[in-house]
Amino acid sequence: MPETILCGVRLKNPVIAASGTFGFAAEYAQLFDVGRLGAICTKGLTLRPRQGNSGVRVWETTGGILNSVGLQNPGIPAFLEQELPRMRTLGTVIIANVGGADQAEFVEGVRLLSDADGIDIIELNISCPNVERGGATFSKTCESARAVVAAVRPVCHRPLMVKLSPDAEDIVSVARACEEAGADALSLVNSFRGMAIDIRARRPVFDNVTAGLAGPCIKPIALRMVWEVAHAVHIPVVGIGGISTWEDAAEFLLAGATAIGVGTATLVKPTAMLDIIDGLERFGAAALAPL
Amino acid sequence: MTTAPVYAEDVPVLAQERIAQDVYLLTVSAETAGAPGQFYLLRAWDRDPLLSRPLSLYTATDTTVSFLYQVRGRGTALLSRCEPGDRLTLLGPLGHGFRLADLGGRVAIVTGGIGIAPMRALAEQLLPQHVTLIAGFRSTPFALQDFERLGVHALVATEDGCAGTRGLCTDLFDPGRFDSVATCGPAPMMARVAALCAAAHVPCQVSLEARMACGVGACLVCACATLQGNRRVCTDGPVFDAREVVWHA
Repeated sequence: MPETILCGVRLKNPVIAASGTFGFAAEYAQLFDVGRLGAICTKGLTLRPRQGNSGVRVWETTGGILNSVGLQNPGIPAFLEQELPRMRTLGTVIIANVGGADQAEFVEGVRLLSDADGIDIIELNISCPNVERGGATFSKTCESARAVVAAVRPVCHRPLMVKLSPDAEDIVSVARACEEAGADALSLVNSFRGMAIDIRARRPVFDNVTAGLAGPCIKPIALRMVWEVAHAVHIPVVGIGGISTWEDAAEFLLAGATAIGVGTATLVKPTAMLDIIDGLERFGAAALAPL
Repeated sequence: MTTAPVYAEDVPVLAQERIAQDVYLLTVSAETAGAPGQFYLLRAWDRDPLLSRPLSLYTATDTTVSFLYQVRGRGTALLSRCEPGDRLTLLGPLGHGFRLADLGGRVAIVTGGIGIAPMRALAEQLLPQHVTLIAGFRSTPFALQDFERLGVHALVATEDGCAGTRGLCTDLFDPGRFDSVATCGPAPMMARVAALCAAAHVPCQVSLEARMACGVGACLVCACATLQGNRRVCTDGPVFDAREVVWHA
């Protein structure tokens, strides 16, 4: 298997469980050896506990899923106390995904996670489409992205990966702004803002009206964005967006991604990532070198 | 009592029986029988629709698991077309089922429509002479004989009056006559049963339904509002103490 170095951290393979679809790993550890994964990214964490969004939270669409979870999580202090010790025993790299409603919450959250033992990489989630304040608005423009990355950089003593929204005004410029502000890596894409309407009830399906679209239907757009960003920055890029098979993963690696994240596919088949790891292994490292 | 869930592809379909309009009984080969109130994720297709479908355990033997389900959309329609010999994918048993220790004395099982599905396995675990099934249906009842065969007394309500009493199951339910209650059905019906039980100080367990994705507690899309905040229907439930659930109007 191609060993992967992601901003100085050694991954046993380039396959990462993407944030939000893998809980804190214990949920899937009962089904397969999650230690085989290259890395595991936590559910989005915020300084304070969040209850998440009301109403319908998931809706199937052709080739994809709309979700509106809204960063439900127990808060960073509870995560550090209750979840992290267990995650550290899994035998793989741990990435902590951190969100925030404002810059101060991001800074404080990153500070707490950065000081904790056992977190290898911090993923700054400036791209959640499902929260009213903060979230994807931070990665909409270069200015807002640059400001939040620059603010957390001094308190972050771990490799800092910034997760970008595909709804940015210009994702390549936002990527460059994050690199200039001190990001060690970029991950893209988060889910796209979409919506669904209940035609009989004559109202939007989601209480928040919009929701995050993910799954195979976004893959070609995500791939194009990864290609463009990987060619525009000098830091590693983690490709995410509808990867379901090892062939999908190979496309992202060829497009210039150093590693890839898998989300929705795990919901379709719990062991999808193992199939991807095995498929990439058979295909061989040489065939996966960027174009 | 929980068995670790198993993910299995190529699970043989043993039987598929249409038992009422849009209601089917599917039996598959499985050696991991769940407890009453637990459920499985099923799929009989590749990637479209993307998500598997959660179905509660109806009955089990040492080598089989059966699901009673209603065709609601494309996923359940595809499941209903499975025939003996076909293969499907199964993940389960999942979730926390009924707490049998809290279902003592005279037990009422109150169901609406397909909400009867998780109750057959439960009734089997209780003393039949102490159990009353109060089942409501929109029209023609189904599955009742499976309960009567156990010796369970059944009261039936139908909205169109085609069988039993015309009306709702809640019209027939007097919580004062029971020591404990289990219920499953449409949310307004369960909310009504929960309110009646709360007023009469009778403990009540509710089996909730939700749109699910992972089924194992990782993705948080099947949240329900409880007094302790949002909880996961798939792993904290699907059976909850009715007093814990916050019912929406």
